[in-house]
Amino acid sequence: MSLFLHYLSMPYLLQGIELTLEVTFLGLLGGLLLGLVLASMQLSRFSVLAALARGYTVIFRGTPLILQMVFAYDALPHIGIKLAAVAAAGLALAANEAPFIAEILRAGVLGVDKGQIAAGQALGMTPFVLMRRIIAPQAIRTMIPAFGNESVSALKNSSLASVIAVPELTLRSTQLASSTFDFFSIFFASGLLYLLLTGAVAAIQLGAEIVFDLDRSSPQDRLARLLPWRRVPLAMKLDLAPVPSPAAASVPETLAPASPVVIPLVDHKRREAAIAQRSIAVAVENLRKSYGPHAVLNDLSLTVRTGEVVALLGPSGSGKSTLLRCINRLETWDSGGIRINGHALGFAPNGQILSPREVARQRAELGVGMVFQQFNLFSHLTARENVAGPLRWVHGRSKAEADRRARELLERVGLGQRLDALPRHMSGGQQQRVAIARALAPNPSVLLLDEPTSALDPELVSEVLEVIRKLAVEDGLTMIISTHQLRFAEEVADRVAFLSGGGIVEQGPARDVLLHPKNSLTQRFLSVMDAVKPLETQS
Amino acid sequence: MFFRAMKNRTPVKRRTGVFFAIAVLAATFTLTGMAPTRAAPAGCTALQAKYPQWKGKTLVNAINPHTPGYEAIDPNDPSKYVGFDIDLGEAIGDCLGFKLTYKPVTFAALLTTLASGQADIVISDIYATKERAKAADFITYSKVFDGVLVAKGNPKGIHGIDMTMCGAAAAENTGFVEVPLIQDLMPKCKAAGKPEPTLQLYDNNANCIQAILAGRADTYVNDVNTVDQAVKAYPDKLDKAVAVTIPYSVGIAVPKNKPEFRDAVLAALIEVQKAGIHMALLKKWSLDVNNFKEPDILTVD
Repeated sequence: MSLFLHYLSMPYLLQGIELTLEVTFLGLLGGLLLGLVLASMQLSRFSVLAALARGYTVIFRGTPLILQMVFAYDALPHIGIKLAAVAAAGLALAANEAPFIAEILRAGVLGVDKGQIAAGQALGMTPFVLMRRIIAPQAIRTMIPAFGNESVSALKNSSLASVIAVPELTLRSTQLASSTFDFFSIFFASGLLYLLLTGAVAAIQLGAEIVFDLDRSSPQDRLARLLPWRRVPLAMKLDLAPVPSPAAASVPETLAPASPVVIPLVDHKRREAAIAQRSIAVAVENLRKSYGPHAVLNDLSLTVRTGEVVALLGPSGSGKSTLLRCINRLETWDSGGIRINGHALGFAPNGQILSPREVARQRAELGVGMVFQQFNLFSHLTARENVAGPLRWVHGRSKAEADRRARELLERVGLGQRLDALPRHMSGGQQQRVAIARALAPNPSVLLLDEPTSALDPELVSEVLEVIRKLAVEDGLTMIISTHQLRFAEEVADRVAFLSGGGIVEQGPARDVLLHPKNSLTQRFLSVMDAVKPLETQS
Repeated sequence: MFFRAMKNRTPVKRRTGVFFAIAVLAATFTLTGMAPTRAAPAGCTALQAKYPQWKGKTLVNAINPHTPGYEAIDPNDPSKYVGFDIDLGEAIGDCLGFKLTYKPVTFAALLTTLASGQADIVISDIYATKERAKAADFITYSKVFDGVLVAKGNPKGIHGIDMTMCGAAAAENTGFVEVPLIQDLMPKCKAAGKPEPTLQLYDNNANCIQAILAGRADTYVNDVNTVDQAVKAYPDKLDKAVAVTIPYSVGIAVPKNKPEFRDAVLAALIEVQKAGIHMALLKKWSLDVNNFKEPDILTVD
């Protein structure tokens, strides 16, 4: 025991820790930088870069670190690169860590919800802004445990530097054991020193997890988390989501009309005539798109005028969502074209395909807002930040200005009390109302709504429909809505287009198509939806 | 002068390493009145004039510091390496006017480290063989006597790399010359209808000795001094069976592409021997004086 304590406090061994940390630090820092490069290469649009990165990964992940150490130390001098032992060890460790770190980064990035990325794109975020504001903050949170693992592993792997004469902890221990024959006392001491180092890494990891935790926790909680027997209470997170009070679940006060049934619409004929005079907001011409042999959009044409509300109806798979995503250039197509206020989104005036960055800029300029079926709120941001953030990052508004706009819009959709709530703590209806506020914030010229109520529980549908109804009636916003809510379409839409098999089989004034469908496909769909009858009784 | 030098090498003892203390005392008595170890012999002045390019330089000596008596860290001041090879190397350095720093590597990496230019010289109890001479030139300086390390009482009755080793488990260091000798024994045992010996390869002496202590290996054949040190450290558990003669010499390895350096080291070693330093160091480190050998060069193309 006294021998053990003697070696535990021996300056010779303690000095070895410094070199152990130096090699580990070089390895992790170099590995992180190289890993970032590798991960971006693998995620890049250019397949050659991805293939190169893949090749590097195969080689450096597939060969033992000890060989890489010897290579960096003994082989590189033959081509004129003579690194000091610590630098050679750091280089080998970095080269070895890089593919592992790259995979952690890649998994983190790919793990971020695709819907949020689509929402960010639709808001006009460039790939860089998207990475910095949406993907990275969420990916980092999920990557912390893996980084903790990797750091511990790098720390232990640094002991292999002993084969290339770096006098770190392991080399010093073995030499000391050889000269004193106190084999076990020395290795227990050095093992304990390694444990202290890896323990410190674990503490840093836990600290980082707490710092990056979105749910603000009390100081007692933070302390409790450091205890090894702590378990994450899975059920707790669910309890945190407040049960929507009847008041919140019902129609938002600020938008609530006296009766939810009828909004005094202007004379249909007059409105129709007025709209016919206006400029064309969205023009879809002969759009074709197919996945292999399956045609999703089949020679589809559609014209939407400024201030017009068009409802897209049709069975699942008829191409409604794809059409909306094409209008916003979230999807590419095979032939045909789309113009927003006369501009071809995604193309330069000479017809050349624009880079993702330029498309983002164009989206922001043309002002095409989008609301998704799954809400796609940025889950690491509060309701206020979901609305205000894009205004600052994409449109360069000041913080005060963006916050004022966010508050105003969230109050308008009845969420003035929930400005600082995270999406996961809100009901589906509330989330969709935030998503609408977010889409409205930059004053879009066209708003696309992709089945905005389909993912909602039935009792939450009306609160969202009310918000949309108000936008159509009071704000005169140009909207294209894909929906299964027939009564809503009848009340709100100027025109209904019925899609089937990737084309529009019937379109016309909402009441005409819904009450007196001419096409047999439309008739069958409407009867299946069991919607014709209530509409008829109502009229 | 002498006392300053001795103090540098072997500082005041603490608890462990009693045999080192004895060795130092013995060396102190033997050396008193003899030529001081660090004073360069007279012939060295002429050598430094003939080979001025290493004067004032600091060269790197690659060692496998797991062999107490030859090269190991000083248990009382682990920042220093001590042993016969260390002293001999510094005596040669004093003669030619260079200083040495040390690079600790595994035994198998000694010559690789030299060939890559990460070290300038290897003085680490390495046997000069024709195979190794393909990677480096050698200046031989010592005869080789191997000892056979076994468990206390030699329960398996092993007496060398011969038929008594058939069926035994032998621990050796990767790259040791004993490895091919034991491998050669395998077919002979088989021909005699006996079980073959098995080989366990480790990367330093301590691991080989631990293999016997843990009952994993039956024997470890290496330089007799190394075996003696092990028996001294574990007198209740280990024994030396016998000493065997191995047809090699110990050599200083230098890069093949630097014949002038090789010749300078050879000339310096001759001066060191003439001045009696070599013999004095053997006594200082309690090594058998029969190890002494006049230097030769071993080089192959």
